[in-house]
Amino acid sequence: MLFFLKNAKSAQLESALNAKQAEDGPGAWANLPEDQLFTPADFSEARAEATAYSNYSYWGSTLRSFLKNKFAVALLIALVAVVGFAFLQPHLPGQVDPNYCRVDPDTGIQLRNIAPGVDGFVWGSNAIGQDLWARIWAGTRTSLVIAFFVAMIEAVVGITVGVLWGYVRQLDFFFTELYNICDNIPSTIILILISYVASPSVPTLILGMSLTGWIAMARFIRNQILIIRDRDYNVASRCIGTPTFRIVLRNLLPYLVSVIMLRMALTVPAAIGSEVFVTYIGLGLSVETPSLGNLINDGRQVMMQAGLRYQLIYPTIILSFVTIAFYLIGNAFSDAADPKNHLQ
Amino acid sequence: MRAILSRRQFLKSAGMTTATVCAAGLLSACGSSSSGAASGAASADTSSYTILYSSQPSTLNYLTTSSDIEMVVGANCVDTLLEFDNKGVMKEGLATEWTFDEPSLTWTFTLRDENWVDMNGEVIAPVTAQDFVDALRYQLTPDYAAANVGLITSYIAGAEAYYDYQVNLTNANNNLVGDDGTTYTVDAAGVVTVSTPGADPQTFQPVDFESVGVKAVDEHTLTYTLTYDFPGFLSLLVYLPYEPAYGPLLEEMGDQFATSAETTYSCGAFYLSEYIPLESWVMKKNPENYDADNVFIDTVSRIYNAEADVNGPEMVKRGEIDEATIGADILDSWLADDATKDLVSMDRPNTNYTYFYLFNFMPFYHEFSNQTVEGLDDTYEPENWAKAINSTNFRKAFLYGINNSVTLAVSAPEGYEGYKLNTVTPPSFCANDDGVDYTQCGDLASITEFFDEAKAKEYRDAAIEELTAQGVTFPVKVQLPYNPSTANWDRQCQIFKQQLEGVLNDGADFIDIIITEGPSDNYLSAVRRAGKYCFQLCNWGADYSDPETETDPFYQAEGDRGGRYAYLRTGVEDGFITGETADAIMAYMSAVEEAKTITTDINARYEAFANAEAMLINNALVVPMGMSVPAYLATRLNYWEGQYASTGFSNKRLKGIHVLDHYVSMSEYEANRDAR
Amino acid sequence: MASYLARRIGHSILTLFIIVTLVFCLLRLMPVEGYFANYEKMTETQIQAGLQSMGLLDPLPVQIFRFWRDAFHGDLGVSHIYRVNVPVVDILKDKLPISIQMGVLAMIVSLVVGIPLGSVMGRFKHRLPDQIGTAIVILIQAVPAAVYYLYIQMYGTTALNIGLLFNADRWQYWVLPVFSMSLGNIAFYAMWLRRYMVDESNKDYVLLARAKGASENRIALRHIFRNAMVPLVQYIPSAFLNTVVGSIYIESLYSIPGMGGLLVTCVQRHDNTMVQGIVLLYACVGIIGLILGDLLMVLIDPRISLGKKEGGR
Repeated sequence: MLFFLKNAKSAQLESALNAKQAEDGPGAWANLPEDQLFTPADFSEARAEATAYSNYSYWGSTLRSFLKNKFAVALLIALVAVVGFAFLQPHLPGQVDPNYCRVDPDTGIQLRNIAPGVDGFVWGSNAIGQDLWARIWAGTRTSLVIAFFVAMIEAVVGITVGVLWGYVRQLDFFFTELYNICDNIPSTIILILISYVASPSVPTLILGMSLTGWIAMARFIRNQILIIRDRDYNVASRCIGTPTFRIVLRNLLPYLVSVIMLRMALTVPAAIGSEVFVTYIGLGLSVETPSLGNLINDGRQVMMQAGLRYQLIYPTIILSFVTIAFYLIGNAFSDAADPKNHLQ
Repeated sequence: MRAILSRRQFLKSAGMTTATVCAAGLLSACGSSSSGAASGAASADTSSYTILYSSQPSTLNYLTTSSDIEMVVGANCVDTLLEFDNKGVMKEGLATEWTFDEPSLTWTFTLRDENWVDMNGEVIAPVTAQDFVDALRYQLTPDYAAANVGLITSYIAGAEAYYDYQVNLTNANNNLVGDDGTTYTVDAAGVVTVSTPGADPQTFQPVDFESVGVKAVDEHTLTYTLTYDFPGFLSLLVYLPYEPAYGPLLEEMGDQFATSAETTYSCGAFYLSEYIPLESWVMKKNPENYDADNVFIDTVSRIYNAEADVNGPEMVKRGEIDEATIGADILDSWLADDATKDLVSMDRPNTNYTYFYLFNFMPFYHEFSNQTVEGLDDTYEPENWAKAINSTNFRKAFLYGINNSVTLAVSAPEGYEGYKLNTVTPPSFCANDDGVDYTQCGDLASITEFFDEAKAKEYRDAAIEELTAQGVTFPVKVQLPYNPSTANWDRQCQIFKQQLEGVLNDGADFIDIIITEGPSDNYLSAVRRAGKYCFQLCNWGADYSDPETETDPFYQAEGDRGGRYAYLRTGVEDGFITGETADAIMAYMSAVEEAKTITTDINARYEAFANAEAMLINNALVVPMGMSVPAYLATRLNYWEGQYASTGFSNKRLKGIHVLDHYVSMSEYEANRDAR
Repeated sequence: MASYLARRIGHSILTLFIIVTLVFCLLRLMPVEGYFANYEKMTETQIQAGLQSMGLLDPLPVQIFRFWRDAFHGDLGVSHIYRVNVPVVDILKDKLPISIQMGVLAMIVSLVVGIPLGSVMGRFKHRLPDQIGTAIVILIQAVPAAVYYLYIQMYGTTALNIGLLFNADRWQYWVLPVFSMSLGNIAFYAMWLRRYMVDESNKDYVLLARAKGASENRIALRHIFRNAMVPLVQYIPSAFLNTVVGSIYIESLYSIPGMGGLLVTCVQRHDNTMVQGIVLLYACVGIIGLILGDLLMVLIDPRISLGKKEGGR
């Protein structure tokens, strides 16, 4: 489902970017009231100096702009706390192995379905006495790692290919054809097929999820490059002999940072969602690798028993929080990273 | 009187049930005839029975399948020559009389009048002796790849020769060239020549079906001629390969036989009236059946639902279906809830399947004439493993170190003690002429529970000393695979690893159990038969009522692949299993061979088989585990009225069972059991 | 226009050809057990013989050629596991109608609910209705569908006083599956429409309308909404495709005899020919959807001419 959101948001940014570019020039101050248009200015040495030099810093402005969004900042702090805790948790004292089944010392029989808060099980135990607290954090780690790699692959491959696609005209036909193919098969089907052909494991899942994701990113980059590459300042750069890669790196990419960041942020929840789906249809990870998909699927089996519902609720809360947080922060950050929003 | 059970009592008694049944079992030959618990209440829906199913059969062809869900049609819609009653005693079925002629090894059956009906319940033709002959011939046709062909070729005279010829003929007709360059040719006279490069060509003379020991003497007289006086033959008749099928239909349909309701005819208690894969599956009472008066359910409907585990229990609560499995993970909360605790009972104990752990004695690549074993992957150090299992101390450390209670508790919460086994053959499987249970015969009688941490550590220390000298590196890697589609197996593996490592790695670095996930499809071919495991839980279900069937997983004839379980003998033949272990294996093989030759003196036969089995266990060539745990059910059926046997498919038959107007509670279940 | 259409369709057929050929090759990597119903019981000689008779030992190009030749004649081979030896086309023929009906209904519901929701959100941007709407949209997307579908089924059936499983003959039984199926698209349409309306509201013609003194409601409805719908339209066909694919959960929950569960079942049971057939079908639906989307755009917005620039994406 989250693929929807991702595509929607990036297409929206794309069209906004195009619109703004069309408006550049005199249109930008058309809205100013007349008296502001022509006001005589007093001479000020400081301000005269200021025009000669700007202390504008892209990342600084981005940060300032982002910090203005209080809600997003709060969410970011919470997200960092959750993610940080997920990775810190196994190193804390008193934590158990997520696969360890606690047993009754007298009989050797596992402590099954212990309710949260009882017997030292913070979030209860599952049907074979494994600690859900440990399992959920371990699962969060697995799912985040998968999501992180998928996002990285999408970004690296997508940007590289997108730049090539946009810059090297001979490649255009090939990539356009590839795009048409990938875009015509629902991504769920590709995911199912990959999991079907290769046996389920973390690398397989990463491969399956990033197999088609990069092409959307590449397409987007390519479109932007086509628009920007023949702008006057780029033509000027070329004339004075700037190497192509430098043009790409310095003139083009900063323009796209906001969208790239957003896409990456949205890939994370999308990847987690896909993992849940793949597990649901029985192509997920093995029991020894807890993941949010595994846990939610196990929880689903018992969700109609009010007393056992905690096994579903806790992983779902974590999953939903991570998903929503990434989505909202991604949006806020991409707004902040857009240079056109900086000088207002 | 319905006593109110506490949750704990319930679980305890559920476990006890098994023990009681085993004691009662087949031995209680006589008893009052059962009419079951009264289903007097004339509520309208006691005539139909509806359940969900989540595993789709790929065929209903009872002649070719051997999988559980696919035999439902064979069990309910086709009658067998003989039947079991609800206490496991054999009685007449389609045959009214049967006699054995010892000198000619020939069984003669007299059939009653019975008709084939189609999917609308309309009579097609009478069931004749020829239908049994045609069914057997169908299964001996290699193109149909019948799963139970081994249960025919081993016992019916001439069947093996006929089948071998047919296989080669089919290969020749297909112009098949084997991987190793083997070619098949057939000449005008029908002689098939099989030429393997580097070996003398073999020729196979044409074998006529007339030479196979099954004959329709007349419409109502059927004879089977056996290869030897096989004691379990009558019980084998109550199973798929010896069911009849309407000859002309087989001829017409070929491999399409019984793939839908249109392509099969029924002659049993029910007829198949509708079958739409992934939708529904309906069987209706067959009024033409000779025993129709004992069939109390008019319509049996199965509705496909992929989420049956979740939806089934909920639909029972709402009264929408008549039965659902209550999984071990939700059982506790059902019993804790007053509204649902009286809805839960269980299936009858299944004394058919038993579980045991096997060591893989074939960790290397090996080619049999009709099977290739790939052996362990290098990651799991096959060389190291081969040396380790050659040590009896190493294996005994496992035998004494494994606590079966904890793994059984996964599927049988708290009732687990009742399902533990220290033998491969379950109790009350069969009894000798004096009524002594097979598990109490010979050396099996002296076997008691093995689990003993101190002993396990003794054996471990001895093994470490012995194996270090042979250059084995510790910890020994133990690949423990599971099938993700088998409920609870993944959990059992996790528990198992923790328990056994807890014992054996306490104070030493002995083993490293590595749990691996097998494919959910064709698991056995990909894992067990391919030799891709170190240690694994396996099961075996008896095909007939004789201890010989329990040797199938272990016994291997010289050079043969055997039951493709542990390849015990192959390791010895290939020379890496040596010394004490090799002696034990070969002693077992010859003990089995000897026991098989005893066919008249049942007591001696059982004792010989029991001694062989005890040899296997005491040498830790196999580690017994337990019986299959009957599912906890919320059901409106009184299962104790139904046919019951420790072999074959009788437990799946719905004939004689009433649908009650309420769900059976545990105390009622016990009352029904005692009343039968 | 006609020439564009011809070119477009020709191009789509090429794409379809490539997709299916790729999937075909991919499935050749699969273990051969997917071609035998009782693989576990067969000897290696039987397996070899079976593979040979099915032509699976031939070189790949020969197999591909044969597949396309047969497919052209409407023959996608026979199922080997799911329903032994039943032609794939027959199986799909039985399963497709109910999925299409469900999909169409779900699409109507999602349009009927999603578009008003989106336009209210767009009209009251950054105000309470917008915030509530956004929260709903995000929740639908963030909570795993597998979880809330089950709750809808359990509590919905109680509320409607109907059985848990689907029954095509009574309309009550259609309500819950169709509603569940449309949830994703409701969120999708609402989010898009809101976005487009917000974008449009900064345009000059809106300024003009406001200057003329048109009421805000009138502006939103008569001016902004109409223009915002144009880009939305092209996504409707592909959203429909996603609905049909997304029905996997729902069909298995309610025992609806449709396509969704079929792919999963066939994948799990390694029925290679069935997987091939279903992917071919989905790819067709996807491509037809894209063409339809483009055509719809032209019909709705006379400013767009397809001859010039390919597609609208």
